Amino acid sequence: MLVINPPIVIASGVGGFGEYMHFIPPEYVGAYTLKTITYKPKSGNPPPRMRAGEFYILNSIGLENPGIERFLKDVKKGEFNHLFEKVKVIASLGGESKDEYLKISERFSEISEKFEAVEFNFSCPNVEKGGLSIIENKQEWRDTLRLIRETLPNTFLIAKIGMEGIFVEKAVELIKTEGWDGVTLINTIRGLHMDAGRNYVVGGLSGPILKPIALRMIYEVRKHFEDIFIIASGGVYTAEDAKEYLDLGADAVAVGSALFKDPNVVEKIVKGLSDRITRE
Amino acid sequence: MENLILTKKKVLQINEDTFILIFEEDPDFSPGQFVMMETPALVRKPFILGRWMGKTAISVKIRGKGTKYLVFEATQIRCHLPLGNPFVPPNERGMAIVSTASITMASMLNEIYGVEVLVGSRTPLVMKTPFETVVGDNAFEERIKKLDYEWYLISGSIEMEKKAWNILKKRKTEIFLALEEYMGCGIGACKSCAIQTKYGIKHVCTDGPIFRGDELCW
Repeated sequence: MLVINPPIVIASGVGGFGEYMHFIPPEYVGAYTLKTITYKPKSGNPPPRMRAGEFYILNSIGLENPGIERFLKDVKKGEFNHLFEKVKVIASLGGESKDEYLKISERFSEISEKFEAVEFNFSCPNVEKGGLSIIENKQEWRDTLRLIRETLPNTFLIAKIGMEGIFVEKAVELIKTEGWDGVTLINTIRGLHMDAGRNYVVGGLSGPILKPIALRMIYEVRKHFEDIFIIASGGVYTAEDAKEYLDLGADAVAVGSALFKDPNVVEKIVKGLSDRITRE
Repeated sequence: MENLILTKKKVLQINEDTFILIFEEDPDFSPGQFVMMETPALVRKPFILGRWMGKTAISVKIRGKGTKYLVFEATQIRCHLPLGNPFVPPNERGMAIVSTASITMASMLNEIYGVEVLVGSRTPLVMKTPFETVVGDNAFEERIKKLDYEWYLISGSIEMEKKAWNILKKRKTEIFLALEEYMGCGIGACKSCAIQTKYGIKHVCTDGPIFRGDELCW
């Protein structure tokens, strides 16, 4: 069983590989999800990679990461020990195909005991292969979920999904049927930012614009599934935002883009949740 | 690196659209490093750090709501700093060629290392500075052609940097360029400020913000 207390998680992607712990006292972090590691190293998408509007941030990072072999080496060398000593750490894994998802699971099994949980990214909208596209073929995705479960039998498995490609309730039904423990809802959703000169950037939308959409997804999933662990994600900037998700049945709430506005936002959110944390 | 509040002490107008913001606090940083400043927008904005009249200062060119807020409304600004890598001049025989938006950084280089400074501005300055200034694109290009230093640091808009780069790159000199790219975190976590270099993707926040000209794909 995964216990996240306080119920606030640093979201994958925005949080990088722990850099925000420079700013946040560890007692305010329930868990820290690292940036997605893929089977092969990825240099990410060409610039520009980020733009923002009044209510949204759009990113097109493209899962830039050093790949699983380098990650394994770094973890074994102790490069992340400073993080493991301070907070619960959730790994995030991804790949470009079923085969890569399975291979990365096998490689990750060498270090899985160091992590509280592993979140598999089935929803990145910024890569041509893998990410969101992996769930297009439902049978293949089901097989992928089953085989990962077999490869990591004792790991707390979380599937990070978006709201595209499949109705979220249907996705969670598959995830649960294959024996997974939790879901992170929702990833960014596809968007396009156009500037005054009609130049545009396509990518994944995050920020306040995501909150009503993500709230609905949490509502639907909790309505149908009482016992799946839910990390809610989407437009959390304040303790009030977090409370809305928790009131709908989320077990924890992820903070992502809000860190761009204030690296100390997590401390403020957790202080605003103090009554609930005490009660729990 | 810390998350703190800077209190605006004084605002000086340099030209039509650029202002120097001088702060009361005196945080520790080096020339070349930058600060991420909070505005009403969702993402903090990067500004290269410097000094003016012996105090911590930044130059802000008005571009939109966020920069107007910093110049005309904000009194206490939440920010994190120092970010990026310090710039250490190779020797004394170089020059910083800067727009007014980088004048405080150049002033700090001058103060610490005695680096000479040339300021390029599209519009006339409305305040006196201790540095040579050229106004307008043509005057800027003509002045650049006559320069004779061992190295140059160029910091300004992309158009200005490319103008100076295209003239100076033909010479056997070292050229350094301060780059701007949209930034999310400023601390190396989000990977949004990527630039393409001859050696692959690099990030303005952790590899820069000042790069060697010969590694850029310009």
